[in-house]
Order: sequence, then C-alpha cells, then structure tokens
Amino acid sequence: MEQPRSDEDQQLVARTQAGEAAAFDELVVKYTPRLYGLVYNMTSNHEDTNDLLQDIFSKAYKSIGGFRGKSSFYTWIHSIAVNMTLNFLKKRGRRFHLSLDDMDGSVQNDKEFLELTATTSPVREADLSELQRRLNESMMKLSDEHRAVVTMFHIQGMPHAEISKILKVSEGTVRSRLFYANRQLQNYLDEFRKNPVS
Amino acid sequence: MDPLSEEQIGKLLRLKKYEQPPPAYFENFLHEFHRRQRDELLREPVWRIALQRTQDFLFRLNIPGLASYPALATALVICAAVISLKVYQTPETVNVAAQNRTPVVATTSLPNSNWSLSNPVTTRDLGPSLVRTVKDSSKTHRVAAPPRYVLDSTPVSYEAAFRF
Repeated sequence: MEQPRSDEDQQLVARTQAGEAAAFDELVVKYTPRLYGLVYNMTSNHEDTNDLLQDIFSKAYKSIGGFRGKSSFYTWIHSIAVNMTLNFLKKRGRRFHLSLDDMDGSVQNDKEFLELTATTSPVREADLSELQRRLNESMMKLSDEHRAVVTMFHIQGMPHAEISKILKVSEGTVRSRLFYANRQLQNYLDEFRKNPVS
Repeated sequence: MDPLSEEQIGKLLRLKKYEQPPPAYFENFLHEFHRRQRDELLREPVWRIALQRTQDFLFRLNIPGLASYPALATALVICAAVISLKVYQTPETVNVAAQNRTPVVATTSLPNSNWSLSNPVTTRDLGPSLVRTVKDSSKTHRVAAPPRYVLDSTPVSYEAAFRF
C-alpha cells in the first residue's frame, strides 16, 4: 500500500490549522479506508473498528493545532490510531467476538490469491476460506503488539522503518516482533492443517 | 503435508486487505463523524471548552510544554486572578495616606518673599486660625527642644490672599 503524498497532506493540515474544517474532511475521506484496515485487523470486530475510527479522527481534529510537522501526517495519524487501538484492546481484554467482513469480490483477480489456490499449491481454494478463518483466529491469539506489527507489515505493506516510527520502537524490535509473530502463526496454522477438525 | 512457509503466510495475510465493509460504509463515515462532533460539542461542559481553547491558544504561542499541563495552566490563571484582585484592593489605602499628606507637601511650595535660609519660618501675619494651631502644637514638645512649627493642613490655595 503506497503512502499518500505528504506535501498534499501538509497543505490540508495547514488549511485545517487555519480553521478550514472542510480541509480536515478531505483528510478523513482520504485516510478512512487505510485506517479502517489497520484498526479492523487489530480488533477483528466491525463495530469496535467503527467506534475507534470515529474517536481517532475526533482526537486528531482536536490535536491538529499542536501538529508541528516533525513527522508526516501519515505517521502522526497512524500513531494515534495504533496507540488508541492498543489502549482499547487492553481495556477490552479477551472479551470479544470476531465479526469479520467478507472478502471483497476483487480478491478473485488478486495475483497472490491465484497463486495460493493453484493446483500445485498446498492451499486449495476449497479450504482457503477456512484457512482464512483460522488465520483470523490465530491473529487474535497473538499479543496486541505483535498483531499490530503483523497488520502494518503484511496487510498494510508498511516498511520496517515506518512501523518503528509509528510505534516509537527501534527497527530491530519491529523485526524481532515480526519474526516471533510469523513463527506463532505458522505453528497455529500447521496445527490446523494437520488436524482440520480441531 | 508441507508446512506453510513464511512467504505463504505473508500471502495469506495480504489477502486480508480484501476484507472490507460495504462501500456505503465509507460514504456515510464522514456524515457520521460530523454528527458525533456536534453531539460531543453539545455534551461538553463550558469549562472544558474554555480549557481546550486556552490550550489551543498556548499551542499557537508555541508553548506546547505548558499547554500539555492543563493543571499548571489553570493554576497560573488562578494565581493571576488572585494577584489582580489584590492589586485592585491595595490602592484604596494608599490614596487615603496620600490625601492626609497632601496639605503638608502643599505648604512647602508656599510662595513667600520673606522666606530665607537664615529665617526659614515666616513672620507674616498668618491669621488667627493658624496661630492657634501653632500654639497648640508647640505644647506637645518638651521645653528644651527647639520650637517646631506645624502648619495647618488646609491647602494653601484655600487660604485668604496675603496682604503686604
């Protein structure tokens, strides 16, 4: 997923800081789908994601006066989103239910989907949806911090450096969290593939 | 059965980007955001709005450190209010003292042609009221002490014009 142009964001931020609320609306429209993916893959619940997204933009709007542009708006809004989601997850604890959205129809044209469901692949189309369900469950078994890194790196396609800025940790920490999380996911999914009924 | 490689797991995870809400969700999101903002404003107490405005103002003045401590900012506002109250109360007593002293100061500026360094006290006829005051005042001093003259507190400008 490509980063939006930061100069365009800077202009919108400056206009918002000057009191033009419509400029902030443009930022909301621009960042909603991206942040939805981030928050949703960390919470696995649509209602929670919706509430959190509203709170995230509300907080961003209130704090934008203090945004000095030391980082890009992209990094800044993602930091707010990740921190608020992690705080929410700490409060929520283990009391949650998965309410996952269905896959978009365009997945059928995705190169990686085609590769995964090819006859030579260990993953067959028939069990792909089940595997996806198991993957979501496995994701929820990861710690909140590990899930955040997996979401940003694998799903959102962010580089390690960007993730380290957002989480305010070193790149080494990002890499080690990613390594550990991948191992855990591998173990959970292999267990399922060996015993599909479990 | 081969275990899933890290790459395959990555591919599976990347497919999750297709898990999206219906398109209408994103269309309504902004509308919902505006509605919530209005609701929040209506529910927010006045003091909190005032505090936020103060914080924003401090941020614009590039004092984010201070603005990030609302308690400190509030304490400063209270201190300023207390000090300003004190300042408004104090001048009342100062003015009274000044009023009492004014006539004495005024007598020193009395234009007097007979006045000189060798004879600093006027020998003119100052009128009955002033003479009486001088006599009364002199009784308060010891006999050995040099005589001191205290002028009446009536401003000079209120006295009758001198005759030569």
